[in-house]
Amino acid sequence: MRAIRPGHVASRAATFVILAIAALAIAAPFLWIFRGAFSGSDAELYRLPPTLQAKNLTTANFGLVTEQVPYFRFFLNSIIVSGSITIAQLITCSTAGYAFARLRFRGKSALFAVVIGSLMIPIQVTIVPLFLVMSKIGLTNTLWALIFPGIFSAFGIFLLRQHFLTLPLELEEAAKIDGAGRLRTFAGIILPLSGPSIATLGIICFTYWWNDLLLPLVMISDTDRQTLPVGLVLLAGRFSTGSLGTIAAGITMAIIPVLVVFVFAQRYIVQSIASSGLKL
Amino acid sequence: MTSSTIRSGAGDHAVADPGSPAPRRGDGLAALAFLTPSIITFLVFVLAPTVGVLVLSFYNWNLLSDGTFTGFDNFVRLLHDGRLLGVYGSTAYMALVILAVNVALGLLLAVLLETRMPRWLRGLFRLSFLFPFVVSASAVALIWRFLLNKDLGLVNYLLGLLGADRIDWLGSSAFAPVSVIVVNSWKTIGFSILVYIAGLQSIPKELREAAIVDGAGAWTRFWRITFPLLSPTVFFLVVINTINSFQIFAEPRVLTQGGPGDSSRTIVEYLYDRAFGDFDLGYASAIGITFAMVLVLLTAIQFWFSRRWTFYS
Repeated sequence: MRAIRPGHVASRAATFVILAIAALAIAAPFLWIFRGAFSGSDAELYRLPPTLQAKNLTTANFGLVTEQVPYFRFFLNSIIVSGSITIAQLITCSTAGYAFARLRFRGKSALFAVVIGSLMIPIQVTIVPLFLVMSKIGLTNTLWALIFPGIFSAFGIFLLRQHFLTLPLELEEAAKIDGAGRLRTFAGIILPLSGPSIATLGIICFTYWWNDLLLPLVMISDTDRQTLPVGLVLLAGRFSTGSLGTIAAGITMAIIPVLVVFVFAQRYIVQSIASSGLKL
Repeated sequence: MTSSTIRSGAGDHAVADPGSPAPRRGDGLAALAFLTPSIITFLVFVLAPTVGVLVLSFYNWNLLSDGTFTGFDNFVRLLHDGRLLGVYGSTAYMALVILAVNVALGLLLAVLLETRMPRWLRGLFRLSFLFPFVVSASAVALIWRFLLNKDLGLVNYLLGLLGADRIDWLGSSAFAPVSVIVVNSWKTIGFSILVYIAGLQSIPKELREAAIVDGAGAWTRFWRITFPLLSPTVFFLVVINTINSFQIFAEPRVLTQGGPGDSSRTIVEYLYDRAFGDFDLGYASAIGITFAMVLVLLTAIQFWFSRRWTFYS
């Protein structure tokens, strides 16, 4: 152990002060909105400094949220859309990633170049024709219009291909000698070894589509078919002033389930997102 | 997954990748089966709309009737659109500051997190930094709309305690883009921090310990050893943050509606308004093409730079 120098103590103290300020800056807005959800009036919501005295607080706002907008419907729609895209992406990206990592076929490099090139054309660029395609096949204003555009993912294919390349070839050779076909090798040997990478893609994909605002705003016109991010904006638009606590309650109801999942799955989420940089 | 298994991939990557060996009998059919789901979704939802953007940009097209071919009219309009350049300016301003904040402040916080501390405390810090990243941008922006309120918001209250004047965060053209920057960085910096942490952990401990033995100070160690070895991570984050911050939509939409004027308007918001506010689909497509070109150009520039200063061990 090295001797403790005064400069060392000072720099350690500074480190913790900076980290604590940063963590507080992240936590405070959430704590503020959670408390605001229990406020009975606009004045109470904006009371500074905020108080936690029980006599000023109410739970009525949460009931008002579900009265004003089909809140649980938004929630369900969001789960259906993000969940379906995630499942579909895991299937399409893992099979395609495997083909690019392990199979030898004509046109492979050209096809792979196309996949990588498409990374540079985000959905924001193609949103207009995408809307026209959806409206021509009659899918606008349905959840399908939110699911289909999310399924193909160049990022996902690339991520999983990079992972498959790291698996030892011998495993597959052995399976081949045993007479296993490509599909059986893939499903029986490759996939079971790829849990963490598949989880990474799943988490990144789910988070992205859970949070998306643009696509539902463009594709969906019925309130009942909206997802949560648009639902919150609709709720906020419905009360500009007068019952701001209700908006705070709606935001709180959107965040708490995410917080619960996050706390339980944190190890996985933290690791997944951290490793996405290393894998590319 | 440990970082060493990830790293080992970089080696055989070079072997398995380019100029792939001759096609193998039976693989073609298997590849077709494995690729079909991706090919179909790519053709319908990526390629067709991409071709669609190119075609639409030559038409005058609204939602009520099919379009009329107008040649290069939309592109001529782009040149005469007084707002377009301003919107690109605001987009670039906000995107570049967000990029700088995430890459620099993210690195600082990640390095500070390496300090010796109890596991639970490190976990708590990491957790709080990452959490906003998984919350939807619209929820985040709605929270900050309250906090940044000029007369009643918490931010101006805290500034007031420090003796500062009230700032019109959302209603002045000087501070509206700053608000978008603050809110977006607040939401996304955790991602950069985490990627940095993983990058830092993949640097061999022996290298830094050897430098300590040699008597190098913390500052020298960081710039001579840690930072060069971290440069691929920095590069990855620069690329990802550029692409993400140029695509911002939700924050300005919810916080400021792009205003006042176009001071906090992003190009995606502008495109959205032309397409689904004015129903000017042809012109919006022409804007989309410029946006795609900007993204391609930015990526190309970054890759060109990375060859010069990224250090791969």
